Amino acid sequence: MAAQKGVDKGRGWSLGLAGLLAPAAFWLGVFFLVPLLLILAYSFGTSGVYGGITLGFNPENYLKVFDPLYLQIIVRSTVIALLNTLICLAIGYPLAYFIAFRGGSWKTALILLVMIPFWTSLLVRAYAWVVILGGNGLANRTLQFLGITDGPITLIFTPQAVMMGLVYSYLPFMVLPLYASLEKFDARLKEAAQDLGASRWQTFWRVTFPLSLPGVIAGSILVFIPSAGEFVIPDLLGGSQTVMTGNLIQQQFLNARDWAFGSALAVMLAVLMLGAILIYVRRIGTDRLEGV
Amino acid sequence: MRERQTQERPPEAARGAARPAAVELAGVTKRFEDFVAVDDLTLSIYEGEFFSLLGPSGCGKTTTLRMIAGFEDPTEGELRVAGRPMRGVPPYRRPVNTVFQSYALFPHLDVFENIAFGLRRAKVPKDEIRRRVSEACALVQLTGFERRKPARLSGGQQQRVALARALVNRPKVLLLDEPLGALDLKLRKEMQIELKNLQHELGITFVYVTHDQEEALTMSDRIAVMKDGKVQQLDTPANLYELPANRFVAGFIGQTNTFSGEVESVRGERVTLRTAGGLELEAFAPAGREVVKGSEAHVAVRPEKVRFGEAGDNAFAGEVRDVVYLGSSTQYVVELKGGERLVVYRQNAREAADSGAGDEVWVAWDAANCLVLGE
Repeated sequence: MAAQKGVDKGRGWSLGLAGLLAPAAFWLGVFFLVPLLLILAYSFGTSGVYGGITLGFNPENYLKVFDPLYLQIIVRSTVIALLNTLICLAIGYPLAYFIAFRGGSWKTALILLVMIPFWTSLLVRAYAWVVILGGNGLANRTLQFLGITDGPITLIFTPQAVMMGLVYSYLPFMVLPLYASLEKFDARLKEAAQDLGASRWQTFWRVTFPLSLPGVIAGSILVFIPSAGEFVIPDLLGGSQTVMTGNLIQQQFLNARDWAFGSALAVMLAVLMLGAILIYVRRIGTDRLEGV
Repeated sequence: MRERQTQERPPEAARGAARPAAVELAGVTKRFEDFVAVDDLTLSIYEGEFFSLLGPSGCGKTTTLRMIAGFEDPTEGELRVAGRPMRGVPPYRRPVNTVFQSYALFPHLDVFENIAFGLRRAKVPKDEIRRRVSEACALVQLTGFERRKPARLSGGQQQRVALARALVNRPKVLLLDEPLGALDLKLRKEMQIELKNLQHELGITFVYVTHDQEEALTMSDRIAVMKDGKVQQLDTPANLYELPANRFVAGFIGQTNTFSGEVESVRGERVTLRTAGGLELEAFAPAGREVVKGSEAHVAVRPEKVRFGEAGDNAFAGEVRDVVYLGSSTQYVVELKGGERLVVYRQNAREAADSGAGDEVWVAWDAANCLVLGE
């Protein structure tokens, strides 16, 4: 009898759980899983000459990914994304640290300032950079006014312009998780470390930084993944000079109409990101995060 | 001859000269903007002493401890640890370690690494670290827990890690900031005894901050009772209890009955006082406490020093208002004829006669137990 009761209870609970999960499961199933499977199926298909796709098992699309022409773009994208992550971390950590520990009553206002760029579309902000960095743009005119350059110099359509645009767009994604984890940090631990003979520098590296690792990991993932697949910023600020994997995929789908190869590129990018994150979290993640 | 004379100091100072001071504060003041947390504090804590700073919250005891640790610098005055002036010396260069109120254990490090933290910073060789950490673990009975993270320890075990983490560095002075505050009563009592034994064994100077007067009385060699940034009385536990300097100390350390009145006569140490309610009290003024005839004075008598009966220097009739059974003793509240209320403790023994609320009784106490308090 008691067992019967227990089973009933368990069923009620799982029914309730199913009810709670249903909307998300439905949404993700229809709008994420199905397209993903579709892409996976396309990636093994064969593109027709005038577009269209024949399904089948055709590994050629994947072999094409390893063509040096395309491989070079994938490698470059990954390096750019990695560099972007490192620069965002280098700029974002001191900023988040300052806001969390020295912000005082200004904390909320400062964090709001970090989030302000989100209020405008990324596209509009990227175009603003086009205007600023253009041949007769604000940057060039300022440089000439200050007498640093004589005439307009090429600022836009360079890898540096792409890098700058990426750092600009993704910095808030690094600062917010870092701030969240530093904000929770118990300042008494710093005193404890200093009491035990650690200098300020040692206190940071032995206590503050390890305890902010969850924020570092979250921020790095939030910056690295989308920036590796980024196509708006390289398109607008890099021109044809700095093509990233995202642009390549976009081209395959919209211009070349080679959906099969585009799908194979998308799957490869996803696998690459997944692998990178697994390695990253394994290496510095789990064992240090335990007990925090 | 002249030199001999200068060497003959009062006994207090002579004792201080014989025992070198581990911590000295001279005219130390700490101000936070308008608020004076510590006000012109001068005291010496001797080597190997268990010294407590006792007082209600906001009395400046924690600020004093934080100044010794180096987290705050005095606004004025001088602070010396082991004879060395400490102004401008950062916490990590001071020969002191702290056991924090909330323990402040490093959550990302296991017990071993928490305890080894200070030794690693001091670049102690690896073999020695291993040896000293396991010694420290044994000392606080944590052997076998070396690889646990703090989150997987009980409150009492965390407290021991905090203690071991500080002691393993062999500090000249160990600072303890209400270290037992988070523990339940039974564990707290056990740890009080353990701490005292540990201090005795190691011979390290302990500076202990607490608001718990019983805890301070149990463990300390000397206690500085603080209020509003000032030391009210610095004395041994027995003297604090038996000879409180003023009304604050008398009320803060244990329970007490106080009476106020006009001084009628002074005969050496004997003082006679008349209260507003018309009671004539025989009291005792310790040497050095000035009592002037005609002035107002306060006297205190401890509840356990009042007897039922008519024999004593002070004996008054009254009525029992309230009876509270406390286990080993019973607390009676007796209202005297003049309206004053008096708390009386009586040991619970089989032969002790019971008095209930409403009973007419006599209460009495001796002048020697009725102390004139300073201001």
